[in-house]
Amino acid sequence: MSTFSTGRKVASFASLILGLVLAIVGLALSITKAGDLILFTIPISGKATPVILGRGTMFICGIILFFVGLYLFPTLKYHRAIINIIFLFPLLFAFAVTVIIPLVLGIGYSFTDWDGIKLTGFVGLSNYLRMFNQKSFLWSILLTFLFVVFNMILVNLVAFLLALLCTSRIKALGFFRAAYFLPNLIGGIVLGYIWQFIFSNVVTKFTGTYSMLSDTKTAFIAVIIVYIWQYAGYIMLIYITGLNTIPGDVLEASAIDGANPTQTLFNIKLPMIAPTITICTFLTLTSAFKQFDVNLALTNGKGSVQFLGEYIANGTEMLALNIYTTAVINNDYALGQAKAVLFFIILAAVSIIQVRISNKKEVEL
Amino acid sequence: MKKKLMSVLLAGAMVASLAACGTTGTTDTTATTSDNTTTETQTTETATTEAAATETATEAAPAGDAGSVRLLNGKPEINDQMQALAAKYNEETGNTLIVETIGGDTNASDELKKMYQADNMPDIFVIEANQAANWDGMLADLAGEEWTDKTGFELVDASMGTIGFPYTVEATALGYNADLLKAAGVDPASLTSPDAWKAACETLDSKKDELGITAVFGWCAEPTNLGWSSGTHVFGQYLDAGLKADDTTYIDLLNDGGKIDEARMKNFAEFIGMMNQYSDPALLIDGTYDNQVAGFKDGKYVFITQGNWCVTSPSDVSFECGFAPYAFEDGINTIIAGPPSYWVAYANGNVDGAKAFFNWCAGDSAQSILVNDAGLVSPFDDCKYEAVNPFYKSMNSYITAGNYSGWHTMLKKDGLQNQTCNIFADYAKGKLDADGFVSTMAQVISSYYAQ
Repeated sequence: MSTFSTGRKVASFASLILGLVLAIVGLALSITKAGDLILFTIPISGKATPVILGRGTMFICGIILFFVGLYLFPTLKYHRAIINIIFLFPLLFAFAVTVIIPLVLGIGYSFTDWDGIKLTGFVGLSNYLRMFNQKSFLWSILLTFLFVVFNMILVNLVAFLLALLCTSRIKALGFFRAAYFLPNLIGGIVLGYIWQFIFSNVVTKFTGTYSMLSDTKTAFIAVIIVYIWQYAGYIMLIYITGLNTIPGDVLEASAIDGANPTQTLFNIKLPMIAPTITICTFLTLTSAFKQFDVNLALTNGKGSVQFLGEYIANGTEMLALNIYTTAVINNDYALGQAKAVLFFIILAAVSIIQVRISNKKEVEL
Repeated sequence: MKKKLMSVLLAGAMVASLAACGTTGTTDTTATTSDNTTTETQTTETATTEAAATETATEAAPAGDAGSVRLLNGKPEINDQMQALAAKYNEETGNTLIVETIGGDTNASDELKKMYQADNMPDIFVIEANQAANWDGMLADLAGEEWTDKTGFELVDASMGTIGFPYTVEATALGYNADLLKAAGVDPASLTSPDAWKAACETLDSKKDELGITAVFGWCAEPTNLGWSSGTHVFGQYLDAGLKADDTTYIDLLNDGGKIDEARMKNFAEFIGMMNQYSDPALLIDGTYDNQVAGFKDGKYVFITQGNWCVTSPSDVSFECGFAPYAFEDGINTIIAGPPSYWVAYANGNVDGAKAFFNWCAGDSAQSILVNDAGLVSPFDDCKYEAVNPFYKSMNSYITAGNYSGWHTMLKKDGLQNQTCNIFADYAKGKLDADGFVSTMAQVISSYYAQ
C-alpha cells in the first residue's frame, strides 16, 4: 500500500527525533552554561582524560540529523518542497542571522534605554522625540541631503566626462582607465588620511591660509572633492560600458547625416545611454547617503556652524557618522539605534523608488 | 551507486568538519554538575583540562588560589612591557596573567562592550573614571586590599566602593623648557598669576630670535585629531586649576545640567586668548600632535599644552622640563595630576586572581618594570624607583607639596569634548572673542547636557 519501505520510515523518524533531541540538549547546555558532557574518562599517563561530547558538536550533529530525517521523510507530495527548504536553509539562516535578526533587535533597542551594556527599561518613543529635538542631528540630515545632491550631479558629470575621454581615440587609454579607477580600490579611511595631509600640508603652501579642513564650508567642499576623486572612477567604468554598447551603425548614420560631435553627444549618445544614467544616478545616490569613512577620516564631523539660532559643533558630520558618534563616542546606544532606524527608512525609500524607476525604464526600452 | 557513496562521503566530511568547528572554544564555561548520574560536566574554570571526575577530584583544585587572570590593557605603547610584567608575575608567583592589548585608535570601552555582549569579559580591564557608572554593580570592591594603604590615587565609587587600581599617574599643565626660560630670565615659579604670565610672554616674545624659538606656546586647537587635547585636557584646567585634588566644585556645577561659572570661564578665556596670541600660527589652527611635540622637543616652543606623556624618555630632550600652572586667576599654583584611567576587576570574573595580581603589581618587582621599563610614574608611596620621565621631577614637587588637582575632566558627560573643542578652534581662528567664547561655551554645554 505504501511506496516507502519500513526501513526508510524508521530511519526518517529516528533521525528527526534524535536530531531534535541532540539539538535541544546542545542548546540547553549552552544556555544554562553547564559545559560539555563527559561520556567517560580514559587514564592517559596517570591522568584521567575525559572524552567529551561537546555541546557544539551535539547541536550541529542534531541539526544535520534533523535534515537527513527531513530528506528521508516518506512523502511524495511534499518531497520537492522539502528539498527546496533544505537547499535554501543555509542561505536563509545566514541571512536571518546577519540581517533580519539584527534589524529586528535594532528596532527593539531603539525603544529602550540600552547603553551598550545594560538594558534597564523601555522608554517608548522618547528616543525618537529626543532625536528630532537635537539640532545637531537635524543639521546632519540637512547636510547629508546637500551632500547627496552635490555628489549625484558632480560625480556623474565628472565620471561621464572621464568616460568620454576614455572612449575617445587618445593614447595610453588603458593607463587612463586604470588610473581613474585606482582611487576606488583604496579604502576610504586611508584616502581620508592621505587627503588630510594634502589639504593641511600641501594646499596651504599654495593658498597661504590655513587648511581647508579647519573651516566648515571649505571642509564640506573638501569632503565632496575627495569623494568625487574616489567614486568617479567607478561610475566612469559603467559609463564606458554604456557608451560602448551604442551600436556603431547609429553613430555612422548620424555622421553621414552631418551631425557634429556636440549633436552626436546630445542627440545620439545621451539618449542611448539613458538606462546607464539611471543606474549611475542611483548608485551615487545611495552610496553618498551612506558616506562614512571619508567623513570620519577627513574631518571626523568637526566644524562649527550657526544653525536654528544655535552654535552647532558638528558642522561636517553626516548621518552615518552622526549615528556612530551618538552610539560609540557619546555612549548613547539606544539613541544611536533610533537614528539608525530612521536612516534605514530613508535608504529603504530611496531603494524602492530606484527599483520602481529602473523597472519602468526597462519597459519603455 | 558510486554517486551515492560519493555523496555520503561528502556529507560525512561536512558533518565532521562542522562538528570539529563546534567543539573548539566551547569548553570555557564555569562548571556545574549535570543531572545524569554516570556523566559529569567538565570543570574548566582554571582553563586546564583537569576533569572533575570523582577519582581525580582531589587533584582538580588549581595550584594557587589566584589562577589565571586576563587583563585588557588600553595602552598599546606599553604592550611589550606588559608582556614582560606577565612573564615576571608567572615566574614569581606561578600565577598566569594574560595581557590583551587594545591597539591604536580602537576605543577600549567600545571593545569592552563587545566583549561583554559576547560573554567574553576579561578579569581586569581599563576604564576612565566616568565610565564606572556604565558598569554599575559589575565591578569588584577592592577595599581593604594591601595596596590601598600605599596610595591615595585609587578610584572610589559611591555605590561600588574602591573599584579602581591606579597603574600610573599622569600630569598635565603647561610643560616648559627650563633652559629657554632661564636664558630669557623668567622664573617658572613666579608664573602664578595672569599678570606674571603676560609679562613672561612679552619677554619671551621679544627675545624670539635671541632664543631661537618660533613661538612662546606650542598650542594646537585643531579639533579633528586633537580635540581630546583642547576639549578634555585644556578644558579640564577650567574645571580644576587651583583646586585641591578632592575639590569637585566646578565639575559638580557642570554635571548639574551643564552649568558653568561665567566669571571663571571669562578669566580662563582671556588666558587662552593670550595663548592664542603667542602661539605658532602654523600649529595653532591646523597642526598635528606630532608637529606640536616635535617643535617642543626641538626647542622651538617654550611651552607645550600637553602632559608628561608627550616626552617620555630623557634621551628625547636635551633640556630640563617642568610644569607651570594655567594661572588664569591670581594664585593658581596647581597642575592636574592623577591616574587618567584605572584597572578594575570584573565582579563575575576571577576576583581573587585580580586582587592577588593588584597586590603583586603594587610591589617592588612589578613597579620596577612599570616605572623603569614602561616609563610610567608610580602612584605608590613606597615605590623606590624614580621615574625616568623628564617631567617627573617637576611633577613630583607639585605632588609632594600637595599642589595638584584632580582629573575631574574625565567625569564630564561622554562626548562633550567633541563639542567644546570646536569652540577652542573658533576662538583660535578669531571667529570668537573672549566674551563670545564664554557665551558659546555656556550655550553649547547646556544644550549638550539637555540632550
